[in-house]
Amino acid sequence: MKILLMGHPNVGKSVFFNRLTGAKVMESNYPGTTVDFTKGWMRLEGEDVELIDVPGAFSLEPKDRAEEVAVKMLEENRDSVVVCVLDASKVERGLYLALEIIERGYPVVVALNMWDVAEDKNIKIEVEKLERILGVPVVPTTAISGEGFKELVSKIKEAAPVKIEKIIESASGVRVATSAGEGGGGESAAVSG
Amino acid sequence: MQVKEEVVKVPLSVDERWDLIEKISKQTVEFGARKHTLKDAIAELTVKPLTGIPVAIAVIYGFWAFFCEFAGTLFTDGFMVRLFDEHWLPWLQSVFPGKETWLYFIFVGDPAADNCFEAFGMLTSGLFVIFGVVLWAVLAFYLIFAILEDVGYLPRLAVLVDTVLHKIGLHGYAIVPTFLSLGCNVPGVTATRPLETRKQRFMMMTLLAIFVPCGAQIGIMQDLVPEMMGWIFLTLAIGYLGFGFVLNKIVPGKSPEIIMDVPPYQMPTLKNIMSKLWIRTSGFLLVAVPFVLLGCLIVGLMYLTGAMDWLAAVFGPLLTVWFGVPSETVAPLIAGFLRKDLAVGMLGGLMEQGIMTTFQVFTSVILLCIYFPCLATFALMIKEENWKEILGSLASLVAMVFVYGGLIHLVGIMLGVA
Amino acid sequence: MNETEENFGSIYFAVLGAVALAFGVAELIATVPGEASWGIMEMSGIFLPWRAIILLSVGFFYLSSVKNFAEVHQLAKAVMASIMIWIVAGIAIWARIAGSIPGEETWFNSLEGFLASYAPPYCPEMFLLPFSLVIVYYVLKEKEEK
Repeated sequence: MKILLMGHPNVGKSVFFNRLTGAKVMESNYPGTTVDFTKGWMRLEGEDVELIDVPGAFSLEPKDRAEEVAVKMLEENRDSVVVCVLDASKVERGLYLALEIIERGYPVVVALNMWDVAEDKNIKIEVEKLERILGVPVVPTTAISGEGFKELVSKIKEAAPVKIEKIIESASGVRVATSAGEGGGGESAAVSG
Repeated sequence: MQVKEEVVKVPLSVDERWDLIEKISKQTVEFGARKHTLKDAIAELTVKPLTGIPVAIAVIYGFWAFFCEFAGTLFTDGFMVRLFDEHWLPWLQSVFPGKETWLYFIFVGDPAADNCFEAFGMLTSGLFVIFGVVLWAVLAFYLIFAILEDVGYLPRLAVLVDTVLHKIGLHGYAIVPTFLSLGCNVPGVTATRPLETRKQRFMMMTLLAIFVPCGAQIGIMQDLVPEMMGWIFLTLAIGYLGFGFVLNKIVPGKSPEIIMDVPPYQMPTLKNIMSKLWIRTSGFLLVAVPFVLLGCLIVGLMYLTGAMDWLAAVFGPLLTVWFGVPSETVAPLIAGFLRKDLAVGMLGGLMEQGIMTTFQVFTSVILLCIYFPCLATFALMIKEENWKEILGSLASLVAMVFVYGGLIHLVGIMLGVA
Repeated sequence: MNETEENFGSIYFAVLGAVALAFGVAELIATVPGEASWGIMEMSGIFLPWRAIILLSVGFFYLSSVKNFAEVHQLAKAVMASIMIWIVAGIAIWARIAGSIPGEETWFNSLEGFLASYAPPYCPEMFLLPFSLVIVYYVLKEKEEK
């Protein structure tokens, strides 16, 4: 198993990486600090697991070199759990990427990072409800101070692939059927490219 | 739950995904009344031109003045010049055997030299350039970079200069690679990756490689010709903007708007600053030490074999007639293919010998900046772009060096200083 | 902050702003001969024109902040002005530290030489530095209220 750290530019992925692996990659407060991936090792329940810091991407339809790297990393590591780091003060934008990854059939843990900034901006997020709708673990974190990391790590093993239909069902309260041809939550989409 | 069934095609379309996100966020996110905090108000001040420009002036002044005092006053002039010129050089000259041999020439250099700029040896000029001057400059640069980066000032500066850079087909984001290049061009070139089109990347890389001097180079220039730094930066900035304007007109392709997030201001942590300082400085030493020493070796060998004299004879007329610099500058120009800091250091040696006028020094320093990216940057550019673009970059580079170098010479002639 | 504090802030930073502005004008004038001194105040150095611009802006920032001082956007201007003073004065102090450590003939400076490096005259920004620190009180106050 591998763990991929994904998310928008400048949501703190590198800070996550450094905290989780004890390694040192550059952390800076501007978008686009990480333009290439970095690998490291973290301890997860007594095992060494490989953790990859993926460059920031807004979506999985790559627009620039950094995003190309991100998509390539995702496709090359089919067996990985994705920790999707979201900016808690801009949840909607982050969810777009998270949903794309979920659709491709990866097990996902959502980290609502920059929780402190969201609080500053007076934004309230109902974590449990979000967790219920998405069907994946959701953990509020503040990477700079290290809050929420223990919980995040403990939830990694709980992550499992979720069908997007389930999410639509629970979000809208409507039963959903998949159209023919594309079973398995977008497996075929994930291997293309 | 309703019994109605909806049909969903996987993967979702962009609109469907946004619909879903809206449904989710409606149920889970609540936006409270938003009051501007002091942090927001300060952030606003730093991006509005009327208040932002004075702030930027203060920040850049602080950056530069700190750099000069840290690298120049404290380390280089305070300790290193004494260490190298009064202790290291005389000691090496006294213990190294065989003053007439080629080994002595390669390692120690000129036996009559009384300072490390003039000696030209691997162990004298080479080590002095790295550990006497450049290391401290780079350290000071990276320290301030780290602070500015972590506070979150850079993206604000980007917003501030966005309007100006738009005129040359670049965007505010260009400030990030440019700024990083002032430390070292290598990370600067990597930082062009978030640019969306080939045109933007090509332009940015070419401009960086030509007009943005790296911290090592700036450090040694500041040590040699501190009184000229203002003019040097002005000349380079004019070249950057002017050449950017021309490139934007002639390079095919689009340069779409870049939407950059402006992150909130943050208090930097000492730990992160220190770790960045360590990563970057050790990275610098790892590249600089072998390349500077190699550069000294190659130049030394070229002198010994007579290749340098031959090159000086061949390119001398071009250098003197077109650029107005003496043919001896061939040696620094050769070294500049490997390391710009070493090249400027060698120029310092020529200055000490008194064979150049002030204006010739100025012209040669500018030429060294613009004539070719250093080897490490060039290697990275090859990796980043395809051959066609590299050739394009080189072609524009050659054209630019001749035009701009000649222009500087012309201005000098008109001002009566060349 | 309460009304007394707000009023005090207004008056205090109006005065400080006026002084900063005056110093800024003095620095601007001093750029013509290149240097000038007045008692234990000295204005010199190659960056003098730039420092004059910074100091003039500091003056304007302070002065424009005094009306309705308690409002965050107004307070922010005074904070920014203070930070700009800290940058310039900080550099001036740093320059003295950097110059005080190495000696003329010896590796390290003598104690007398070391101390002499910190003797007056000082630049205008260093005189403004202690007075600009008052803003810290207001920032803390603002934080507390949030």
